Formats: sequence, structure tokens, C-alpha cells
Amino acid sequence: MKILTTLLLLFFISASLHSQDQSKGIRKGPNFKAENLDGDLVELNAELGDGPVLLSFWATWCKPCIEELKEYKKIYEDYKDKGFKMYAISTDDERTVAKVKPFVKSKNFMFPVLLDTNSDIARLYYAQSVPYSVILDKKGLIIYSHLGYMRGDEVKVKEIISSEINK
Amino acid sequence: MIFLKQYSNRYVAVNQLFPKSKNRMKNPIYFLYIIILTLLLLIINQPINAQTESPWLTWPQGLGFSNQLEYSYNIDTKQEIFENWLNLDYTLGMFSSGLRLDVFQPNDPDPSISRGKDKFAEIDYIYFKADIGEKNEGISVTGGNFYTLFGRGMVLKSYEDRAIRIDNNFLGLKVTGKYDGFVLTGLSGMAANSNNERKDILHALDLEYRGWRPLKVGATVASNLSPSEEAARTTLASLRLLPSFWNIDMYAEYTAKFNEDIKQSIFNGSESIVGQGFYGNLNFYFGSLSLLGEYKYYDNIAFTSQDGTIFYNTPPSVRLEYTYILPNRHPSPLNQADEQGFQLAVGYNLSDDTYLTAAYTQTKTLPPSSYYQRVSQINIPVSTQLKEFYVSGQQNWSEDLTTIAALAYNEELATNTKNITPILENRFYFGEVNTIKIIIEHQHATDRTTTEQYYSDVLSVEYLRSPGFSVAVVSELQTKEPEPGRTVRKFWGFIQTGYKFGGHTDISLLVGTRQAGNICIGGVCRYEPAFQGVELKLLTRL
Repeated sequence: MKILTTLLLLFFISASLHSQDQSKGIRKGPNFKAENLDGDLVELNAELGDGPVLLSFWATWCKPCIEELKEYKKIYEDYKDKGFKMYAISTDDERTVAKVKPFVKSKNFMFPVLLDTNSDIARLYYAQSVPYSVILDKKGLIIYSHLGYMRGDEVKVKEIISSEINK
Repeated sequence: MIFLKQYSNRYVAVNQLFPKSKNRMKNPIYFLYIIILTLLLLIINQPINAQTESPWLTWPQGLGFSNQLEYSYNIDTKQEIFENWLNLDYTLGMFSSGLRLDVFQPNDPDPSISRGKDKFAEIDYIYFKADIGEKNEGISVTGGNFYTLFGRGMVLKSYEDRAIRIDNNFLGLKVTGKYDGFVLTGLSGMAANSNNERKDILHALDLEYRGWRPLKVGATVASNLSPSEEAARTTLASLRLLPSFWNIDMYAEYTAKFNEDIKQSIFNGSESIVGQGFYGNLNFYFGSLSLLGEYKYYDNIAFTSQDGTIFYNTPPSVRLEYTYILPNRHPSPLNQADEQGFQLAVGYNLSDDTYLTAAYTQTKTLPPSSYYQRVSQINIPVSTQLKEFYVSGQQNWSEDLTTIAALAYNEELATNTKNITPILENRFYFGEVNTIKIIIEHQHATDRTTTEQYYSDVLSVEYLRSPGFSVAVVSELQTKEPEPGRTVRKFWGFIQTGYKFGGHTDISLLVGTRQAGNICIGGVCRYEPAFQGVELKLLTRL
């Protein structure tokens, strides 16, 4: 009975969230401070205001993440001069964090990469697994989130970023 | 949290006074959970554009929630497991707070997960945080439950990983201050032991400094005070260096362990430390080439609570972890007390469409002269715990086809097996949003104790349709020949579908049978028994 009650409530919550217009944003993206690969601190709130911000949670051992980042690399190149910002947030912990910088350099990723070694930022954004993508609008409201990656997901991401830039 | 636990305990007394209401009022926290869900449902159903007009039931922009539900029913054992984690977080300017409500009814029967509780609902994590100041200068104060990681976890790593059901959060106070290149963190807290009791108190201090850009230095001291007045405290101290120049990055950390009881009883006061550890890594990258070298030496540096059930530190395991099924079948758990070894890894992009990677790791136990053996008063020669070699190549033939070929080899002492695993993965893309993945894994295992050989084959076929649908069929066949001429075959297979409702909900349903195995993350493992039945996972978030 308890399980059924829980499932029913969760179903109605999911259905209600689904019926909302996500592009308007409901929740503000929590602020965070994290180190980039050069050891400099980046604060989210200081990066808002110019255009949409894409946060991509990933890890070196995650194959779909790498596929996704290759697509995001193209989007970043297309929109970086139009106010769009992107942060690839590595959730590699103490066992694989050593691999992050060599990996990023060898793949020639030009977007900023942040280190979230104890998943503090992932916890704030409920990134239970990777890849996980979040888009914030100029005001910092979450207007898109997506767990996992399949070929074609980047089309929607590109569409949202383009629409936000043209607002 | 204390109030709620006390309330929960008091509730038993209420039930004893009013036995008729026992069933209805069994789990007050569960009812709190249902009330929270109902409120969330009501608030969400207010039209967003009405939020500015009505002061009631409007969704505060700082409020976020996530609900993760996992339910399984094992037909074989008639075992039902229901696990649910609800997170609520609220941010207002520099302040934030939140809680996690856990509902396990019934819980996983594994005692390391259930911690002696079959059915329960509790607030297991609650915090309040103030973040004052600028990006590079300021102070952050967290009261309640918190996680923390210093350096690479040689001295302290407090974290949650639901996949392996690890949660060693602290209940206490953490303060971090930043000023002029210095970062100082101090904390005091208690983690929950295997009986879900917080008894030992841990105090820790970490200082990091980056005054000169190519070099960062850090130092940590952490000390565990046991509840027993007769036992001495255990202290770990470490020093770390992170130089970075040109295309080279390095990391080096040395740790020493102190305990007065061991010092006096084992070494008669002649040695000041009772354990030591070193971890170092060297990275080099040039163009499309990346090289990584890691070295570890962990001699009696396991940092635990007095009862030994809470592990405060998790240094880098220096092991390979695989995204495929079969290479993970013979894992080697991390032992912070008795390990030495290294890893060498190379990655090379031949072109945008071709990527090669290779890695070798080796882990050995320590010699009889080690602190570990002297403290444990044993005399065991060095043995190889784990040897691993992995090579893989990825080729994108065209926009529509990608192939990955890999070979994994490992020798593992705990199961005393030697395993060779070739893997072939092909991905076919069509119609912009469709993918078909076919993965074939074959493993040839040799039991070095009995010299028995057996084979495992896994075939995974997965169809993915962006943005929200996936279905996978995974089958596994194990072939054994216990005696010449007699072949025994076992088959497992399941079908798993996944679907996304908008950007907020992910649901997955698994039906079928699954082979027993270990899930290991960073050398920390969780055993999953064989399964036959239905498994439902639902993740909702905002």
C-alpha cells in the first residue's frame, strides 16, 4: 500500500512537472565555486548575465560523456562569442582525477573544465549519474536538464541555446 | 534530526499506550514523506505565470527537490526491497539548507547496507550553510551533516555513493576560510557506524596555499577520538605538493599515522609512527598524446572509527575500472593497510576518428618489515594482489558507424583467477536520433587453485531513441566443464527499458534474471546477489 501510494504521488508529480513549460524555468541554479584545470576559482553567479550557461557533468571513465562532450565542443565553438558559456564539470574523484587534464588536453577540448572531486556541485544539481546536462538562462534559472546521452540529444541543447541567445 | 529520532523512539511508547493505533502510526517519518510529496504536488500544479500573483503555494526559486526510488521484487526468494531517497534543498542568497529523507520499507537484507534496520524512515542528512564573502576571500560555515575531501583522500574522504550504498557523512560543524591564496578548513563531526550510531568524534584541519602559480602545497591533520576513555586517539597527518609546469602536472602526498596505544604495546615506545603512506602521480600531455603514471604505498594507514566499521579515508585505489560487464567480475577491493603498486596509462588520438588507449596496473602486498605486518604481528611474504592490462581502440568509420575493440587481462588473488576478456562494441546511428549498440564480451577464466577453466559470454543489444527512450536486452551464458566431457551451462537474461518524462523524470524497468556480482567504485565494493524478478527505478528532480 505504501509503495503504491508513493508511486502514485510520484507519478502525479512527474506528470505535473512534465506539463509545465520548462523553458520559463522554475528553480534557480544553485551557486557554486570550483577550481578549473589551472587551479583558478570559478564562481557561477559571476558568470551569469551574458547568455545561457551549459553545465555538463561528466567523468573520464564515462563513454557516453565523451560522446556528448564531442558534440558540445561543436556547440561551444559556434556560440561562445555570442554570450554562451559552458562548463564541463568533471566528477572524477580521487581515483581518476589525475586523468582529467591529460584527457582534456589530448581531446583538444577548448571549453572550461571544472573539478568537482567530491561531487559537491553534482549534489547541488541532483546529478545522480553522468552524463548530466543543465542549461541556465541569463538569470540563472534552470531551463533544461537531461540525464544520460543518446545521439540526437545535442539537437535540443543547440535549439535551446540558440533560442536563449536570440531572446 | 535528533528531535526526529527521539520522536520516533517516543512513538513506540505511544503505540504501547494506544495499541489500536499501532498500524496506522507505525512510521511517522514515512507520513512526513507523504505530506512533503503532497505539498510538492500542490505547489507544482499552480500555473507558473500565476506564481507572482499569489503569495500562497508558489514555487520559491531557491527550492529544489529530488526523489530517487528503487524497488525490486525477487521471484526466486520472494524478497521485496523498497528504497527511496528524497532530497529537499533551499537557497536564499548566501544561505542554504536542506535535508534528505530516507524511506527503506523493507530495506536491503545485506547487513552492511541495512545497518540492522528492516523497515525505517528517517531524516538521515540535514544541514545549514552560510557562504559569506567573495570568490577568493571569504568564509563558509556548515552545520549539521556534511561531506568533505582533503587532497586525494589519503587522510579524509567523507562521501555518499548510492550505487555501493556508502554514506559516511559527518554530523557536526565545518568552517572554511579563504584569504590571499590560503584555504583553511576545520571540522569536527561524527560519522555513523554499522549500527547507525554516531559515537567517535573526528577533528580535522586542512591548509592549502597557492602563492606561486606553478605550485600548490597542502597539509592535513585529522584525529579520531573514540568514545572509550581508555583507548588512545588515532591521528593521521599528511603533506602534499602539486607542482604544475609546461605540459607536466605532478601530485605527491605523504601520510603518517600515530597511535599511542600501538606505539607503546607493539613498539615499546621506540617508534613514533605506526603507519605511513605515499601516493604520487605524474601526467604528461603533448598534442594528442597523454601519459599517466601513478604510484601508491599504503602501509597501515586505514583510518577507522574505534569499532572499525567507519572508514574515514579512501586513497586512490590505482586500479582500472571498466564500463563493460565481464571485466568487473573479479574485482580487487582496496586495502588501505597493505598495498603497494603502480599504474601506467597512455592515450593517443591518431585522428579525430581514431583513439587508442592502454593501461597496466599492479598491486602487491607489503613485506614483513612493514608497519602493517609488525602491528598485526604476522609474517607473510609479498604477493601479487592484482595485475591488470587493458587496451582499447575506437574507430569512427563514418557518421553512421563506430567500432570499439578492447582486450582486458587480469590476475586477481582474492578469487585466485586469471581472466582474459576480449570485447567488441559496434554502434550504428541512423535517422539522427536512433542508435543501436551491440556489445559482445567473452571471458575465459582460469581458477588457479583448481585449474578449472570456464567461459562467460555476454551479448548486449540496445536501441536508443533520443531524447527519451531506450530498450536493452542483455544475455549471459556461463559454460563450465567441472570434469572432462561434462559441460554445465547457466543462462541469465533481462530486458530493460528506460523512458524520460520531459526533463524531470527518468524511469527504468528491468525484468528477467541477472548473475551475481560485485559493483566496485574506487576499490570499494558492494556484492549484488543473483536476481530473478522485476526492478523499477524512478528519478524525479527539479
